[in-house]
Amino acid sequence: MSMQAALPVAMIPGNSIIHRINPIAKLVWVVGYVVLAFSTQNIVVLYSMALFALLLAPIAGITKPLLKGALILVPVGSSLLALQIIAPAVERPWTPVGEIGPLTLYGDGIYYGFVLLGRIVASLLLALVMVMTTHPSDLFTSLSKLKVPYTLNFMLAMTLQLIPVFQREVGIIMSAQKSRGMKGKGFSAVLPSFVPVFVGAIERVQQLSISLESRGFGSNGIKTSYRQVRGRPSDWVIGIVGALALGGLSAYSIWRGTWNISSDIVFSPLFVVVTFVISATLFFGVVLFAVFLSLKK
Amino acid sequence: MPEPIIAFDAVTYTYAGTDEPALHEISFEIQPGEYVAILGLNGAGKTTLGLCVNGVIPTMLGGELEGTVTVGGLDVSEYPVREMSKLVGVVFDNPEFQMSQMSVAEEVALGLENAGVPYEEMKRIIPDTLELVGLAGFEERSPLGLSGGQQQRLAIAAVLAMKPQILIMDEPTSNLDPIGKQEVFDMAARLNSERGMTVIVIEHEVEVMARYADRVIVLDGGRVIMNGTPQEIFSRVEELAALKLRVPEAAELATILRTEYGDWDGPVPITTEPAVAAVNDLLGATRD
Ligand SMILES: Nc1ncnc2c1ncn2[C@@H]1O[C@H](COP(=O)(O)OP(=O)(O)OP(=O)(O)O)[C@@H](O)[C@H]1O
Ligand SMILES: [Mg+2]
Repeated sequence: MSMQAALPVAMIPGNSIIHRINPIAKLVWVVGYVVLAFSTQNIVVLYSMALFALLLAPIAGITKPLLKGALILVPVGSSLLALQIIAPAVERPWTPVGEIGPLTLYGDGIYYGFVLLGRIVASLLLALVMVMTTHPSDLFTSLSKLKVPYTLNFMLAMTLQLIPVFQREVGIIMSAQKSRGMKGKGFSAVLPSFVPVFVGAIERVQQLSISLESRGFGSNGIKTSYRQVRGRPSDWVIGIVGALALGGLSAYSIWRGTWNISSDIVFSPLFVVVTFVISATLFFGVVLFAVFLSLKK
Repeated sequence: MPEPIIAFDAVTYTYAGTDEPALHEISFEIQPGEYVAILGLNGAGKTTLGLCVNGVIPTMLGGELEGTVTVGGLDVSEYPVREMSKLVGVVFDNPEFQMSQMSVAEEVALGLENAGVPYEEMKRIIPDTLELVGLAGFEERSPLGLSGGQQQRLAIAAVLAMKPQILIMDEPTSNLDPIGKQEVFDMAARLNSERGMTVIVIEHEVEVMARYADRVIVLDGGRVIMNGTPQEIFSRVEELAALKLRVPEAAELATILRTEYGDWDGPVPITTEPAVAAVNDLLGATRD
């Protein structure tokens, strides 16, 4: 197993400008993104945020893994849009724009659908950029400097660390079960393999806690840190600019009462129908693909 | 006689939620700098005994402890494990279960960070410790990408960095191949002879223990049933066999030869070289 594969799935080692930014400065941006995304209903702002996060990917050299990670947005986003078109989350009366089979399509909810989608896409993309370019230990070290309780912080770091271990364990157990004649594909095969993984996990956690305690974990004295995370002037600038810009925009949005610009945008009935068809196709495509994978023996 | 570094005085321990004690009336002493092997079948109480030394029993696991365990003059039931960790380092059989960090250096640093060792000192201690366990230059590697033997030596380094006086290894090589086993035992022997560290090894490899240990303690059903030098213990071949415990092959061979060819002078050989010498003597004698 290569060293890279043993590292948490999330972190893509590298030395780009983005990788070198102080974790706290990055965290300021992620938190700012989430705050702004949930305080505004302005889709121009939301999709600009998403685009900006996307543009960071080639700079950090993480385009491919980022897009792969973002695939999760396909079923989420498509179901969200399709649902808003057949059952808008706005007050009636709704104006029908078309019919497909037994379904009546409405244009009233589509703006809100795009807002919800934009919030998720923008926050998730930037969070992924952060996670993929930050060494968990550096984040851990920085957080402890911010006086985040050590234990909580450690649990976060541990979780990140255990993901690849469990992945590998599932792999080992599945191949063991396959060698005993169990079919090794699909959900029906994965499920029983979680039992030994789970049992193994309890034993692992118990041994680990003894091992950690035996190395002084949990002592109340002053702690030092081996990884030295620098806070250069550029990190301060990035952090402060992020806080001011994102905080300012959030404040402005709240002052404008969510800054909803739906009245300025008219979605043509054709656009609504096409959006619905694409979303529904994507969504059922994903579902069918998952079912197909699980049935394939 | 110097003050013992570890003393068990009539220790009986029962795990929480069980009725039968896992340890019965255990009493023994270990002197500083001794290399002690603990033998016993599965379930004999070896791990339980080891956990008493660093205070995981009773502080972390609860249960009912009678008698006293004194380590470095401290009653273990009165100190948290993290205090005891300054005295006692423990390594378990599955090294991977003891890893929690992203890099080898950080794994070694963990105990130092918790002890508040300044960064500059860590920069010095970490390479030194890795050197000691034969992992020099591995600082930036991922612990999960190491071989089993390397992982186990890293687990040992992680406790050694804290400079404990006592190292306890619970079946440290049961997941390792012969080379990995050799690496770990050589290192433990070096720590014992060169640094005067007190070493307690829980092991099934009787050949290795016959060679390295100063003392062997045999547990059965939670009781200490033998306690003596390897020479004394491994000479009792029939008794050990009756307990279904393994015996060094040299001692077994010598015992068979003895019944076949009558007695000879001197002790029963327990390692290969004296066994070879004894067989040579015997062959010389029959040839005459
Ligand atoms: N956490 C626990 N809770 C309850 N009983 C336990 C616990 N751990 C061990 N025991 C019991 O205590 C007894 C001694 O177990 P211990 O693990 O010390 O044996 P061991 O000599 O280390 O065996 P092995 O060679 O299998 O490692 C056994 O009967 C075991 O079932
Ligand atoms: Mg054991």
